[in-house]
Amino acid sequence: MVDFARVQKELQECSRDIERSGIKVVPKSDANLACLLGTIPGPIGTPYEGGTFQIDISLPDAYPFEPPKMQFTTKVWHPNISSQSGAICLDILKDQWSPALTLKTALLSVQALLSAPQPDDPQDAVVAQQYLRDYQTFVGTARYWTESFAKSSSIGIDEKVKRLVEMGFPEGRARSALETVGGDENLALETLCSG
Amino acid sequence: MKVKILLFWWHAVAAWTWDAQDETCGICRMAFDGCCPDCKLPGDDCPLIWGACNHAFHLHCILKWVNSQTSQAHCPMCRREWQFKG
Ligand SMILES: [Zn+2]
Ligand SMILES: [Zn+2]
Ligand SMILES: [Zn+2]
Repeated sequence: MVDFARVQKELQECSRDIERSGIKVVPKSDANLACLLGTIPGPIGTPYEGGTFQIDISLPDAYPFEPPKMQFTTKVWHPNISSQSGAICLDILKDQWSPALTLKTALLSVQALLSAPQPDDPQDAVVAQQYLRDYQTFVGTARYWTESFAKSSSIGIDEKVKRLVEMGFPEGRARSALETVGGDENLALETLCSG
Repeated sequence: MKVKILLFWWHAVAAWTWDAQDETCGICRMAFDGCCPDCKLPGDDCPLIWGACNHAFHLHCILKWVNSQTSQAHCPMCRREWQFKG
């Protein structure tokens, strides 16, 4: 049986602190406190800056004696997060969990993971390879994914592709140019013109 | 992967007393002058227990944690091996 009194307390503490931490946790429905939705802002100075990332949280019956299950629902390009499923490879969500940690401290750790990727212990091998072999491309793709999936203006990316296509560039090239520069339309145009 | 965790300390380890009002158990987050979520009434039947590392918890809370671990349990606050203070 989940310790709902503690979860209730955690939610209150978290919402009291939201201005400072930017970390949000809300129940998906009032009927069931075991299914929650977490939100973290992308860390400043990383390719995730400016994005808002949603994380699906489900509490096992033994919470807080077992870690919460967390998974990104926002698509994210990161060596320790599956680009397919959003699964997170983070020790405190596995064997390093402690009942003194909370949903907020766990989400803060996930945010720290965004700032400090560990490609040697990857969740997504493709991303990790790219991170190690071609860091610039990794940054471009990660930024493009933030732009495309983690911003409220994300819908804009198809619009940008369309405008570039209207200017006479092939769609594939337009899309990959946008991807390389992290979604900036003007930079993409420069790349396309110089290529 | 490993990320350094900032543990948040709610208390000064050296200053624990039975009558402290604002001290809470790091496991259930209930005050030490109350009882754990499994006990109905505060009192002697839900005692506090100290570890060798000087961290305290409700006895019931730390027992649940120790019993949930298949190998050696660690203190939830400082991650040192959990030993009851003798
Ligand atoms: Zn307790
Ligand atoms: Zn008790
Ligand atoms: Zn300790």
